[in-house]
Amino acid sequence: MADPYKPRAPFAPWDRRQLPGLFDVEETARRVGNYKWAEMKLFEALGGWVATVPELDVKMRLGTHCYHHAWHAELWHKRLPELREMNPDRLTQPANDAMVEFVAALTEPEAPELTIEKLVGVYRVYIPHFISAYTFHMNNTSEITDAPTIRTLKLALQDEFEDWRDGEMMLQSLIETPEEVDRAAAHQAKLEKLILAAGGIAGPGSIGGN
Amino acid sequence: MRKFFPVDSLARDSRFNQITMKQSQADPRSSLIAQEEKRPKTNRLQPSRPDASDAARSLMHGIFVGEIQALEGAGRTCHDFETGTEAPFALKLDMARQAWDEARHVEISVKLSEWMGTEIGQYAENTVLFEAACSTDPVLRLAGVNRALEGLAIDVFTTMKEFGDIAGDPFLEFCEDWMLADEVTHVKMGSDWLRRITENDPERRKKALEFQSVVDKIFSFGGTRSDSQESPIGLARRFRELAGFSDDEVEDIADVSLRALEERKAFARQAQAEAVEQFSAS
Repeated sequence: MADPYKPRAPFAPWDRRQLPGLFDVEETARRVGNYKWAEMKLFEALGGWVATVPELDVKMRLGTHCYHHAWHAELWHKRLPELREMNPDRLTQPANDAMVEFVAALTEPEAPELTIEKLVGVYRVYIPHFISAYTFHMNNTSEITDAPTIRTLKLALQDEFEDWRDGEMMLQSLIETPEEVDRAAAHQAKLEKLILAAGGIAGPGSIGGN
Repeated sequence: MRKFFPVDSLARDSRFNQITMKQSQADPRSSLIAQEEKRPKTNRLQPSRPDASDAARSLMHGIFVGEIQALEGAGRTCHDFETGTEAPFALKLDMARQAWDEARHVEISVKLSEWMGTEIGQYAENTVLFEAACSTDPVLRLAGVNRALEGLAIDVFTTMKEFGDIAGDPFLEFCEDWMLADEVTHVKMGSDWLRRITENDPERRKKALEFQSVVDKIFSFGGTRSDSQESPIGLARRFRELAGFSDDEVEDIADVSLRALEERKAFARQAQAEAVEQFSAS
């Protein structure tokens, strides 16, 4: 057996984590508050839409995904006090007014004939933006000081990727004509323009560059 | 998307046929009366009943559509109320969790229905369950859906689990037991939130409990669920205790269910008499 008292490096040779990160505590809390608000809006929309879609398989998936995003919101809610925000509601805010406008447009479709629009908004626009914002955050925050946020980002991303795949497969199975391709693309373009104006889930700089 | 979604707008594919509670109870093929005239020892859903297979399939289809409506109701509670001002964040998280559970129950009941030889839409869908989820007060919704409706689900799943056990169907028994575990959680969720939100508001609590009582009576399906052996579904007292019902509350539900059974029998007799009269006149 190896000598247990032999000095070892505190970081094993395979552990390449680094201290520096792009975000301080305050900026991290701001982003986490934006994430929580955005996840809340998503789970509320998914829950509300369940009764409005006639397709049974879609109805069940929306119910399942509703919980995934509620759980993400809960994880972010619990992270906020750890980032010195003792009143989580104060930072549970949209990144800006354009983000509010985006969510209003996203949740507008209600009629049972509009399942394609509902799914396009969530799975071709909103969730891809969660994936990009979470990935940027995960890859740029301090791997040591902000490990709890990274853990939550990884858990959330796992759901986001799987939900995106579910949603994209549902969409591909629902889109049967060239006209429906156009419908989906037009709605996607409309929403993309709105979230572009918002700068992403956490506003300008959601994926860096600003 | 609007707040508060009307029951007549529930989205369904072409296989589903929706009916109201009144239409359901006016059905002259009422099994309770037919059985009563033959003076049977029990109407409980048991494999020894001559119509056991069809009754079990019908009940499973009822569970299936009930789970869809429970899923829709939990989803709507996530959407219909503003977080903080109208409903606590944690309550909405519980409702999202319930939506996932109900989605799984739909999946389970679809597969069980297929296992039992039933097709989707083979029986009518009574939409009374979703009606209880249309209240504009989240506390009333929790009382009506989580305590009354999910309480009924505890009784139904217990009966189906026993049916699976006696019939030698471990597949059915296994699935019902899992769903029963979820339902006890949902009822407890409703009991806990009712107490927490109305802790300093006795008037609101009273109103919620009255609403629950009304829903309990409606959900007794005219005596389909009661302690009486005339009812196909029994009252699962032990699991209701686990779900947070007090002894007094269980006794109240037992009384309401028995009254509903008597009213249903009277109503069905009258409907049958009217049908005979109309047939004779024609």
